[in-house]
Amino acid sequence: MTDATASAGRPTRITRGSPADHPSIRRPLIRRPDVLIFLAILALVTIGATVLAQTGHVSTSTVKLLGKTLCLCLAALAMDLVWGYTGILSLGHFAFFGIGGYAIGMWLMWDRTELIVLDTLARNPLPATPLEVQEAIGSQIFGVVGSTEIPWLWAFAGSLPLQLAAAVLVPGIVALIFGWLAFRSRVAGVYLSILTQAGTLALSLWLFQNDSGLRGNNGLSGLQNLPGLDHVPQSTISLWFLWASALALAGAYLLAAWTVAGRFGSVLRGIRDDEARVRFLGYEVEHYKLAIFTGTAMACGIAGALYYPQAGIVNPAEIAPIASIYLAVWVAIGGRGLLYGAVIGAAFVSLLSSWFTGGGAPDIDLGFYEIRWTDWWLVLLGLTFVLVTLFAPKGLGGLVDLWTERRSRRTSDLGPDEGALRAEEERP
Amino acid sequence: MRILLALALLVIPLSALAQQGPVQTLLQTHAEDIADPSRQTIQPVLDDLSASGLPAMTEFLEAWADKGVVRRDADGLFFYGQREGDVYVLRSVEDGAEAGEVGRREATELKPNAGVRRLIGTALVQFQLNDPDPARRRAALDALSRNATPDLLGPLRASIETEENGAIRDRKEELERLITLRFGENQAARLAAIDWLSDKVSLEGRAALNNVLTTRTVVGPPEAGANIARVLVPGTDISEPAAVALLAEAGFEVAQVSRADRDAALIAAIEGESVAGVAVASLNTEDARWAAYETLAQAGAVPPRAAPDAVARLLAETPITAVYDEPDPAITTAAAAALDEVGARVARAQAADLTLDALSLASIYFLAAIGLAITFGVMGVINMAHGEFIMIGAYTGYVVQTIVPDYTVSLIIALPLAFVVAAAAGVVLERLVIRHLLHRPLETLLATFGISVALQQIFKNIFGTQAVPLTSPAWLAGAWSLNDVIGISYIRIAIFVLALGFLALLVWILRRTRLGLEVRAVTQNPGMAASLGIDPDRVGMATFALGSGIAGVAGVAIGLFAQVTSEMGSGYIVQSFMTVVVGGVGSVFGTLVGAGMIGGLQKGIEWLNPSNTLAAQTYMILFIILFIQFRPRGIVAQKGRFVQ
Repeated sequence: MTDATASAGRPTRITRGSPADHPSIRRPLIRRPDVLIFLAILALVTIGATVLAQTGHVSTSTVKLLGKTLCLCLAALAMDLVWGYTGILSLGHFAFFGIGGYAIGMWLMWDRTELIVLDTLARNPLPATPLEVQEAIGSQIFGVVGSTEIPWLWAFAGSLPLQLAAAVLVPGIVALIFGWLAFRSRVAGVYLSILTQAGTLALSLWLFQNDSGLRGNNGLSGLQNLPGLDHVPQSTISLWFLWASALALAGAYLLAAWTVAGRFGSVLRGIRDDEARVRFLGYEVEHYKLAIFTGTAMACGIAGALYYPQAGIVNPAEIAPIASIYLAVWVAIGGRGLLYGAVIGAAFVSLLSSWFTGGGAPDIDLGFYEIRWTDWWLVLLGLTFVLVTLFAPKGLGGLVDLWTERRSRRTSDLGPDEGALRAEEERP
Repeated sequence: MRILLALALLVIPLSALAQQGPVQTLLQTHAEDIADPSRQTIQPVLDDLSASGLPAMTEFLEAWADKGVVRRDADGLFFYGQREGDVYVLRSVEDGAEAGEVGRREATELKPNAGVRRLIGTALVQFQLNDPDPARRRAALDALSRNATPDLLGPLRASIETEENGAIRDRKEELERLITLRFGENQAARLAAIDWLSDKVSLEGRAALNNVLTTRTVVGPPEAGANIARVLVPGTDISEPAAVALLAEAGFEVAQVSRADRDAALIAAIEGESVAGVAVASLNTEDARWAAYETLAQAGAVPPRAAPDAVARLLAETPITAVYDEPDPAITTAAAAALDEVGARVARAQAADLTLDALSLASIYFLAAIGLAITFGVMGVINMAHGEFIMIGAYTGYVVQTIVPDYTVSLIIALPLAFVVAAAAGVVLERLVIRHLLHRPLETLLATFGISVALQQIFKNIFGTQAVPLTSPAWLAGAWSLNDVIGISYIRIAIFVLALGFLALLVWILRRTRLGLEVRAVTQNPGMAASLGIDPDRVGMATFALGSGIAGVAGVAIGLFAQVTSEMGSGYIVQSFMTVVVGGVGSVFGTLVGAGMIGGLQKGIEWLNPSNTLAAQTYMILFIILFIQFRPRGIVAQKGRFVQ
């Protein structure tokens, strides 16, 4: 690497509008059809759900399900950036999602407990002292793990701005350190996947301990109750969160579309398709990977911070490695390397999953055996996933492409590793 | 003839005198003392009975102590008697033969008091210790170790000389030392016993030494001549609240006012809006409340609060000491030194035990990971369903066991069958999925994950969510223990042997067979291997079958000591990956070293923090992440296709 490039992080000269760029990408972001259509559908869904909920046609739990699904879509979008566009199969991004949930959950739990405690202590003839309040909160929150002491992790739990910052910054810092260690020593491919999975396992095992300071396997609960807003019904709160989730997803989509459309995105795709070649061209590949890894981890933190107040509880089981793998499954089924593919995949699979496991799907009686979908859904999902990987590497998003390709011929190489799709197409 | 005799005995009790055996004769010489024993008079009688050396005497003494002996009023003879309704059923004291019945009021039950019973027990021990039956001698020693008294020392020592069984003799000598240590007659004997024990690591020996070193806590200056163990310093040896509680128990109390007492006093003193002239609303800090309390105390309304340093001063003034129960300082010093020596020896033994544990864990990881390592090496793909092959092997073992009831036979069938079944499953997976995803390792990883989810759920649907049993044969139960510290179960030894066997097999295949040559060639350079006429597809399939088969065998082995559930594979998969990554891909010895390192690390961390195995795993994974920084390609680095 020459000195000139090392300081800038990339070569000083690069041809803009190279042939690999899509015709549509060069247009202003807001006029690109996929962005417009996505925003329109998102707005339609959100407004429609709001109207239906206000008129009583849709239950609060359905609104919450929708809001949670949007958060999962946001996480899938982040996963798509890091895997579909950069080719880093991280099996730990759901851990960042969980960290975001824990960060916001700490504030929700602390503040609500503090209000309850103050209320109780106000009935004493003497006004409460700070020490009394601390002790009461400690025993309320940590009584389940046999402790009354407040762990140092909770030092800022009383402050919403700080905890909100933590929901973004803690995943960011963890990802930065982990990514720096991993990318610096050129850990890539399946090694990196395994390493992220191990890191996720380590985090979830640590959280499972009672003395981790985060209530062990009890997790944080009662998060659906916003402190000081007991008079607001859950139906209204669920709509607030639906809108917040929708806004976050829309913003993230715009940001992601802008990111992948620019030069930065081109380098990311280059790293995915041939990392060594991009490095030889003089790019600091590690910096790009670190930036996208950290940025998407922060996005996952935001998604988690919006998700868990709707779910009501966050516990270490949520962070188990399998959750992160499911995130990859959603992106793969939706279509990696396509922003809308990730969103479609997450929405489709998670909604379908709750339909099947919730007993919504009718059981099939074969006469000699009855297929109960609550038992067989995972088999169906697993096998579908294998079939998608084998025969439809572009996933559901590829269906959209079939329609658009008639108008604009797309020749981009969307394979995630060793140019998989190109290899697929080149196969006689 | 016998019946006639029995009838005769029944009809003419007096004629029984003529039939008296040696026991009855001896008993009759002390008849009155036996019938009405007292602690003062019984010892000579017992000595006499013991001196006779009659084998039947043991049973008599046992029955006597157990209130199972009656004396027939008519002739004064002793019998074993059992009350049944209105009669005693009699048995002869010579040989326990039936000796008729006697009415409830025609015989007297012998009821020795507790003191006498204890003396009988002591005499009995002497008999039992010299009993011809080794099992009874052992039983007597066990009873002795639980319930040692000083007077048993004599009979025990006497019996050592004549003991022929080596193991029992050793045990007798050990017990003799333990009892001497506790009740020994002089300092020299006890010091000798301590010296002898300092060479041993047995739990019993350590307990005996600790027993010598028991202390009691004395508050205030200890009495003159007390054998002081140490002075307890509050804050280091003993927590301050505990020290204060001890002082309070001994009558040294500080007038401490708890926060609850203070608040109660303040609340009681509320007059309108103020307490002691202070507004209630201003009492919202601890300092303000204490200040208000002081005001109340000065007015005499509440008990005064002790000065802040009162507790510290009291603690400084009143020494708290631990005093040995044992008065002789020479003994306690020697015992403490011996215990230190034993402790060091126990620590070394624990290290050896830990090494054994780590070896056994390492052999499990090796079995679980080796298949993964060689398939990764040859085909460059990660098989996330590898854990499910382990599960398939374990369930194969379970199914075989439901068909073949004999555990040994079923295990012999299950091991090769598990290999075949898992290998077949591996070939199917390779043909249907992995073959089509060549050179796309990330997609292979995810596709095999899909297979893993589906397989887990299918097995859950078939076998249920409950764990199924895979029982090991009786000869694998139990443990091999070297001493009280070092021990390892036979199952783990068997797994170790199994792992060694597969290691040898794999090394042989890779080094000495045509397949091994081809596998090594494909691992190093698939393109070149193919151009030399090796079919990489065929080699890939063979390695996949081999790797999956070994996972199946590992499943049977793991199932023998862990639970067989549909999720058991996922519990090993991350550890297996770690083993492969740490050891280096595609190398048998790399995997071996990796397994050894991870097994050792896990056991080591567990030993450092035994209460928290979850934390141990966390630290281990963090360590491995750091390790990868320094050797990204594992301990035995791959040369060939993966080198960038």
